[in-house]
Amino acid sequence: MEKLKKLLYSQKAAPYILVLPFILSFAFFWIYPLFSTVKMSFQSILPGEVEWIGLKNYSKLLKDTAFHTAIRNSFEYMIWTLVLLIPFPMIYACFMDSRLVKLKGLYKALLYLPALTSVVVAGTIFRLMFSEMEGSQMNQFISWFGLEPIKWLKVKSTSYFALLTIACWRWTGVNMLYFLAGLKNIDSGLYESAEIDGANGLKKFIYITMPLLKPTTIYVLTISVYAGLAMFLESFMLWNGNSSPNNIGLTIVGYLYRRGIEKNQLGYASAVGLVLLVIALSINVIQLFMNGTFKKEGK
Amino acid sequence: MKRNLFSLLLCFVLAASLLIGCSSDKTPATGTGSASQDQETSETGTQEEATAEAITTAGPEDGTHLEMWTFVELHSDFYAEMLEQWNKDNPDKQLNITFTTYPYADMHNKLMLAIQSGSGAPDLCDIEIGQFPNFLQGEVQFRPLNDVIEPYKKDIVQSRLDLYSKDGNYYGIDFHVGATVMFYNTKILNQYGIDYTKIKTWDDFTAAGEQLKEAGGGKVYMTSVDTGGTDWLWLAMAEYGEDYTTDDGAPDIEIDSIKNMITMQQGWLNDGIAMISPGGQVDMEEGFANISDGNIVAFPKAMWFMSRFLNYMPEMTDTWAIAPCPVFEEGQPRSVGIGGTGTVVSNQSPNADLAAQFLAWAKLSYDGEVKIWENLGFDPLNTTIWSDETITKDPNNKYISYFVTNPFDTLNEIKDEIGKIKVGTINPAISEQFNLTILNNCFENGADAEDELATAQDELEIEY
Amino acid sequence: MERVHNISFEKNKMGMTAKNRIASAILTAFFTVLGIVVVFPFVTAVLASFRPGQELIRYGLSIKLDFSEMTFNNYKYLFTGEHSYFVWFKNSMVLTVISVVLTLIICYFVAYGLSMYDYKLKNLLFFLVIATMMVPFEILMLPLYQEMIDLKLINTTAGVILPGLCGASTIFFFRQYMIGLPRELLDAGRIDGATEFGICIRIMLPITKPAFAAMAILSGMGAWNSMLWPLLVYRDADKFTLPIGLNTLLTPYGNNYDLLIAGSCFAILPIFILFLCFQSYFIDGMTAGAVKG
Repeated sequence: MEKLKKLLYSQKAAPYILVLPFILSFAFFWIYPLFSTVKMSFQSILPGEVEWIGLKNYSKLLKDTAFHTAIRNSFEYMIWTLVLLIPFPMIYACFMDSRLVKLKGLYKALLYLPALTSVVVAGTIFRLMFSEMEGSQMNQFISWFGLEPIKWLKVKSTSYFALLTIACWRWTGVNMLYFLAGLKNIDSGLYESAEIDGANGLKKFIYITMPLLKPTTIYVLTISVYAGLAMFLESFMLWNGNSSPNNIGLTIVGYLYRRGIEKNQLGYASAVGLVLLVIALSINVIQLFMNGTFKKEGK
Repeated sequence: MKRNLFSLLLCFVLAASLLIGCSSDKTPATGTGSASQDQETSETGTQEEATAEAITTAGPEDGTHLEMWTFVELHSDFYAEMLEQWNKDNPDKQLNITFTTYPYADMHNKLMLAIQSGSGAPDLCDIEIGQFPNFLQGEVQFRPLNDVIEPYKKDIVQSRLDLYSKDGNYYGIDFHVGATVMFYNTKILNQYGIDYTKIKTWDDFTAAGEQLKEAGGGKVYMTSVDTGGTDWLWLAMAEYGEDYTTDDGAPDIEIDSIKNMITMQQGWLNDGIAMISPGGQVDMEEGFANISDGNIVAFPKAMWFMSRFLNYMPEMTDTWAIAPCPVFEEGQPRSVGIGGTGTVVSNQSPNADLAAQFLAWAKLSYDGEVKIWENLGFDPLNTTIWSDETITKDPNNKYISYFVTNPFDTLNEIKDEIGKIKVGTINPAISEQFNLTILNNCFENGADAEDELATAQDELEIEY
Repeated sequence: MERVHNISFEKNKMGMTAKNRIASAILTAFFTVLGIVVVFPFVTAVLASFRPGQELIRYGLSIKLDFSEMTFNNYKYLFTGEHSYFVWFKNSMVLTVISVVLTLIICYFVAYGLSMYDYKLKNLLFFLVIATMMVPFEILMLPLYQEMIDLKLINTTAGVILPGLCGASTIFFFRQYMIGLPRELLDAGRIDGATEFGICIRIMLPITKPAFAAMAILSGMGAWNSMLWPLLVYRDADKFTLPIGLNTLLTPYGNNYDLLIAGSCFAILPIFILFLCFQSYFIDGMTAGAVKG
């Protein structure tokens, strides 16, 4: 008994006990459902009729144009969020870090505010702003420039504008804070010596700030890839449901939801989910290896 | 700093417990409070459904307890009223039912999950007709209702039972026939000298549209075409006697009726006779606004749309007339049954038999059918009511007094012309093709109907 | 200690030059504009909450202001009407508090185990943490739902909270924070005779507080706003949380928009107050835990 206690308290056993909750949760809420998903993706599942159908679900995916639309939409959305939500927040963070800005606390709080709002609330507000009615805010706004009212959410380009507006509105502040945090860890001496060498603001940004922000950038990149590919609720709220004209707002997760929950095709939905898994995981693993993240962890 | 963190948590806990304390007495109570009456049209007294109360329980506590889900608040109000009567008539079979109203999509999704997982389904549940085929796949998880329907069957429109059947078993009981009729705004039409009773064919309708455009200076449109609803197409199919699924249930959407309807509507849009329905179709808040603003003067919709008039456009009394729909060629049938709510009894229910008895009685008995008409304004399944003059000529009935014409006159006129479109497993996918893609491309972007239909047909065949 | 390393314009460290004053004005103006743009939707939503809700759905959110139309009716109804809003509010509050407290405690221990010791499986475990971070939860949603039914956890708060308790990103963040802390503290503790867990709680926990603050806000936000999973797990309407409840008001046949718009505005308040109170810790915590190469 005493021995057991000692073992449990020993330096060797301690880490394993500490990480035990993670291992349990990983096994129960990750590995197990993941295996179920894999299994189900080879089945046709109807109430009372479960049947092995081999690769049929996957071969159907190849021909399913709505699914291809969903992949394209998710991809485009992800790419756009990367373009909009990494460089700009980085630059804003640099501005914010300058001592020339007054009232920093206020601005940080303001920019962070949207992230605190739930997608349900934000989506509803933006749906009303982008309403196709003549009196909606966006239509009134463009009418100042002499433009006719637009059916914002019926055309791909303008509806992406709306989706990305929500994304930028919600996440610019968060990403800026990540970058601000990264900036705080950069040794100010580097800037001073660069100044002595006569470097200007832009040069300092390119040769010092950007390289030293790399770890933060990788982190933001990883979560942005994930969040971009898994986007669903934004579209769900913007179109008040999972169906949009010409499927312009359909995302991979939306399609998974449509097939699995709305249409009772669990097997097919599982195949959709696994495709998403493979895409998300491979993009991020490639990205992380290219950036050498795992090598450094090994040290 | 440590103290701060814990005071944060403490604050949180305190705030939470405070809220628990003060809201515990606010948990949903029985009865339906009429909310937000301040802004709504309380003076007309027609605003029945303005309440945020999602759950109500009715019946004695010691009665057999049942759960019921609906997606329209008015439906649960109706069931609650029928329940009261049931408990009076059946002292030995007292029932206590909890009604929960969910949003349309949430309710169907939750029911689907409950059925997939074999537990958690309510005893009774409303299912919208468009979603019904999804629930008939595989082994059906509902109790067959043949035995409880039998006593009422002779007076009921048979085609409305067939819609919810599989392999000879009936699984759902509907509210109404959903006969499609034309609604006309007589005030505006009279103003421009148009007599809607003269409109017999779509050509007449188009001509009236031209006349309206000339006289009204383009401010008023004859109608609005839907990009997010297939009602017009159903009407067209029924008129031609076609169907977009074959007898085996395979998709077959490249049919003349649909092509003709879409082409005709494209013509209206080009000529400025029609507009595109804001919100995709008229049964939406945007659509109601469009109607009550007087932007459109006519549209086809099932009889149940009468209740929308009373709820959302109460100020338009004595404005709207009900008439048979125009046809492509004279002699074609002038209506089609659209929409519906099949109520099912889950076979997960421990009291399935009792639930089924109550359901059949509530929705199919003569009293129940009368109540369906009086409360909900639906055209009841029991056609003997259609000719019961104490009901059809009742001057106190709010629906009869709202409209310029008597709804039952039209209903009896088209009684034998109400077409039926089959609803099978592929139907949800077909509606999706039309509502998301085909109609949008044809009306918003002017795409060619034949091309669109051909593309969609290919995709549907993969699906099938 | 405010370290300054702007990318900008200062040459003279003594006070502000004219050039700096202009730069400062430009930057301040820039952030003011940005701030206004960001706040704009809130302002219009709040203004809209003083107007009849039905109009909003029918005609969209308008820029025009008509003060004569403004009423407090929506809020009057929110606070005195007969509806479930405050049941949802309470449910969200309880769910958020429980899940934040448990998540923080568990993730702290796990991250401690992943950063303060050297052992064979450490890198593998950390890789798994990252892997779970990169798999969208939605993929596992359906089998997880099935699992919750088998475990009899459906319709329970435990069922909502359990799968997310070991939040990978929270573990990741704590771990990043802790690998920056000096390990000598552990040895000092061991020499003093403290047990491993004693060190973990009495020595290390206090100096990890900034990370706690940051994670409290982040996971609080997540819990307060989560929608999809609770919607699946909870079956009874009296268990609904705010996002689910507000979403139920969006039905086209309900006329509940008055409650929706006022309730939406009110729902932002708690998390906003939380953020305002702990903003400085939050930013400190984020800074300290920032990803290090």
